[in-house]
Amino acid sequence: MNEVSFRVEPGEIVGFLGPNGAGKTTTLRMLTGYLAPTSGEVRVDGIDAVRDSIEARARLGYMPEGVPLYREMRVYEYLRHRGALKNVDDVADAVDRSLELAGVADARTRIIGQLSKGYRQRVGLAEALIADPKILILDEPTSGLDPNQVRQFRELVRSFGGEKTVLLSTHILSEVEAVCDRVIIIREGEKVADLVPGDAETKLEDVFAELTASRSTEGAS
Amino acid sequence: MRSAWVVMKRELGSFFVSPLAYVVLTAWLVWNGVVFWVLTEFYARNAVSSGAASPLSAFFGGSSLFFIPLLVFVPILTMRLIAGERQSGTIEPLMTAPVSDASVVLGKYCAAIVMWCVLWLPTVIYAWIMRQHGTVDWGATAASYFGILLLGSYFMAIGLLMSALAPTQIIAAVLSFVALGVLFTVGIGEFVFDGAAREFCAYVSMWGHMQSFSKGVVDTRYLFFDLSVATLAVGLSIGVLKARRHT
Repeated sequence: MNEVSFRVEPGEIVGFLGPNGAGKTTTLRMLTGYLAPTSGEVRVDGIDAVRDSIEARARLGYMPEGVPLYREMRVYEYLRHRGALKNVDDVADAVDRSLELAGVADARTRIIGQLSKGYRQRVGLAEALIADPKILILDEPTSGLDPNQVRQFRELVRSFGGEKTVLLSTHILSEVEAVCDRVIIIREGEKVADLVPGDAETKLEDVFAELTASRSTEGAS
Repeated sequence: MRSAWVVMKRELGSFFVSPLAYVVLTAWLVWNGVVFWVLTEFYARNAVSSGAASPLSAFFGGSSLFFIPLLVFVPILTMRLIAGERQSGTIEPLMTAPVSDASVVLGKYCAAIVMWCVLWLPTVIYAWIMRQHGTVDWGATAASYFGILLLGSYFMAIGLLMSALAPTQIIAAVLSFVALGVLFTVGIGEFVFDGAAREFCAYVSMWGHMQSFSKGVVDTRYLFFDLSVATLAVGLSIGVLKARRHT
């Protein structure tokens, strides 16, 4: 990774776009403190995420790619556990609220390993929301969802607009156009664009193809 | 420290709802039941000639039968601790939660110690059985259990470290098995070498360790050895988790 500098304003919903292997997940992992950058600076809500990692981590909700969960736990048990780990004051209340918000209240007592992919995804979202963070970081949040679930999810994220800051990574262009205020495109560990989707002169698909496809054709020849 | 408690509770909860827990506990009790039966038979048939003075003290360290199952069961109990999370990907939410690396490791370690105690708790019944048919040296029995706790504190720490190092559970189990096997074998060097090497091997020897405790002798050298190895291994595990953020 190099030369990826960007800033997300409070209340903004930003799409993080790039072909597979561009470094989206790596960037998000540095933001969430899972990986430490070898150089450069990461600030979360003004806090140095390298030096005061725990402080910074306390301010964000993160849904990793693939949504890894403890499969043997029940949904509410998992959320309670995560709530306790994140120092939530009223855990029972927070569990109810986040289950409701993520639309998984009906799966409350089910065992996570027996849930469908769509449900697991929403459990992951409920987990990210448990401590009511101001900042949400979602890594490919809609991969594996059916079209209805995708639409529900997008509506939910849009409803956070203005209230929560959302950074979501994806390689689905329509997703960015549907939910994001702004889009950052990276390629091979470098930022190549920072633009507002839906502008008259920018057709996202063309921009994306132009910025990212050239290298892969080179690679093919 | 509250987060270490949360991590420990999750670890134990997951362990005791898994079939693995009950397979391990049952296999463990069957094995030890057979060992205890053979030892009592032996003492009932033969006049005590040397070594351990009672079936109980023989059980708690008079024979290598005590250690062979441990070399297998300890890796099975500890392999999941960190390598399991890495394999399932749950390490990512865990390490991005606002908790220190130290509390994650300490929580896991405490869970492992509780598992160790659960393993040994049913063997108290052997002392009760002996009490029905004769006298039990309760002082020596208490010292034996204290020795077992010390032994566990460093066995589990080594298993934890291997689980932190290994990419998968199986590799973690193999590494712990090898580490404990080497330590056990080095201890046997007490009967092989002379001089300083002999001293060293005797110091490391888990066999000598348990022989001493099972006779009721609490040797502070063993205490020091166990606790320093445990502290070192737990500390290194924290270091491994920290280092993983930089790869």
